[in-house]
Amino acid sequence: MLGIDDPQIWLAYILCFVSAVGCMIYGALKWNDGSDDPEVEA
Amino acid sequence: MISTPVLGVIILIYLMVIFYLGWLGYKKTTESDDYMVAGRKIHPYILALSYGATFISTSAIIGFGGAAGALGMGLLWLAFMNILVGIFIAFVLFGSRTRRLGLNLGAVTFPELLGRRFQSRFIQGFSGALIGIFMPLYAGIVLIGGARFLEATLNINYDIAVLILTIIVAAYVITGGLIAVMYTDALQGSLMFIGMIFLLAFTYIKLGGITAAHSALTAMNDLVPQSLAAGGHLGWTSMPEFGSPIWWTLVSTLVLGVGIGVLAQPQLAVRFMTVRNDAALNRAVLVGGPFILMMTGVAFTVGALSNVYFYQTTEMISVAVAGGNTDLIMPAFINSAMPETFVILFMLTLLAAAMSTLSSQFHTMGTSIGHDFYREFLKRGDLGQTINITKVAIAITILASVILAYILPISIIARATAIFFGLCAAAFLPMYTGALFWKRMTREGAIASLLVGTFSSLFWLAFVHKAEAAPLGISKALFGVETILTGTWTVVDPILVATPLAFITAIVVSLLTKPTPKEHLDACFKR
Repeated sequence: MLGIDDPQIWLAYILCFVSAVGCMIYGALKWNDGSDDPEVEA
Repeated sequence: MISTPVLGVIILIYLMVIFYLGWLGYKKTTESDDYMVAGRKIHPYILALSYGATFISTSAIIGFGGAAGALGMGLLWLAFMNILVGIFIAFVLFGSRTRRLGLNLGAVTFPELLGRRFQSRFIQGFSGALIGIFMPLYAGIVLIGGARFLEATLNINYDIAVLILTIIVAAYVITGGLIAVMYTDALQGSLMFIGMIFLLAFTYIKLGGITAAHSALTAMNDLVPQSLAAGGHLGWTSMPEFGSPIWWTLVSTLVLGVGIGVLAQPQLAVRFMTVRNDAALNRAVLVGGPFILMMTGVAFTVGALSNVYFYQTTEMISVAVAGGNTDLIMPAFINSAMPETFVILFMLTLLAAAMSTLSSQFHTMGTSIGHDFYREFLKRGDLGQTINITKVAIAITILASVILAYILPISIIARATAIFFGLCAAAFLPMYTGALFWKRMTREGAIASLLVGTFSSLFWLAFVHKAEAAPLGISKALFGVETILTGTWTVVDPILVATPLAFITAIVVSLLTKPTPKEHLDACFKR
């Protein structure tokens, strides 16, 4: 896959993208979660 | 060769912006909380870029990119760990609890957070001293990376380059505190992001596309030099042979050592205490994930692919082109393969990467010695000469970093980063994890794990792990042998031995000692 024979390598290559996209989805879904948490002034 | 005046002007503009941001930090710093934790109200975007830019130094790009040039794309497992552990687990699991605990206990540094959670000035003082002693090693190699770049591009003497870089960074760290550090980090992080996108795009275009580039690298399997093949190297698009010395180095030192060690980095953990609320941490994940992908993911891919470019143009592999010094692979590739304007942009990327990491290191080393060790441990919380001591501490630790930058040997960049990350993991991770997630953990358990983690890690470095034990020579001097164990043990990284040992110690000692009083736990976790 992608010109790489060893599955241990292309898996890592793909997981890098998957995890980065996962971070973006998480951040977007949780955008406002915890915005009423105790703040500095509390 | 690019024109020095043009580059000089661009660097000058860059430095003026940096100084402006440093001045902004200085203006906004009115009390100690501002200097130490940026007033606890940093914007999520700044947090994410500052965390990422501090995490990723020139060593990650140049040192680890070069390591990928020698060892191949197996390093992508580290890039994956950097995103999963370094961003996701760090922010989502550790970040939010660290922020609340820090706020409840009024802690302003990482050692203080641990010390107050376990009601122990010893923990704070010892951790501060440990950071003050060993972080210069890490700062030293970051300085090497930055200064080597200045030397090569501006045609100035290396020794002078080290001094210039140190003075500029020290100036805004000492005056502007963490606000200045994080503002400049955000600018530097943005520059790094743009630079790395171009680097990836140019590399794939140059080599004919993604699949074509990878296929060409796969086709080079039989070009692996005899010395590396004997160690288990099977090609740049294959993992090394399972259990071989190269496999152990890759997996234990690089992937696990750096991949997990990041969780217990004092200069990164302190950043969780700089934001207003948990929403800021969640939003930072959105920026942090792709940022790290573009840093280490790109550096490791391009480092490995440099072999294709060099083989096509010079019939030599990257390590050979770099004369055996892997730290020179990335600079050599960029200088010969990339368009001239890009070289300038990338120079700035590297300078930004070095400065953003250095600034945080200087800040952390100074507060560790001045605040944690001197004020809280020696003076029992009395202000005393703290401010002067902190300044002197910053100066001394910077001096130590500079001296190390002059004397450390070649090809050390990736390894020295791993040593520091590994030591932090063994010394702090069990105690830090327990502080956040396990109320039954006691002061005695924390102290025991700190001591066991620190000393077993240092012992393994000095007496067993060959890559450090042999050059250090302590084992040779005392016992007449390079390493006191033989075989596979000598390639197993300290983190794999010391961290589990410290975790076990923490659990056993905690269960055998009196639980922490409920009132204190309530104060720690009240909100």
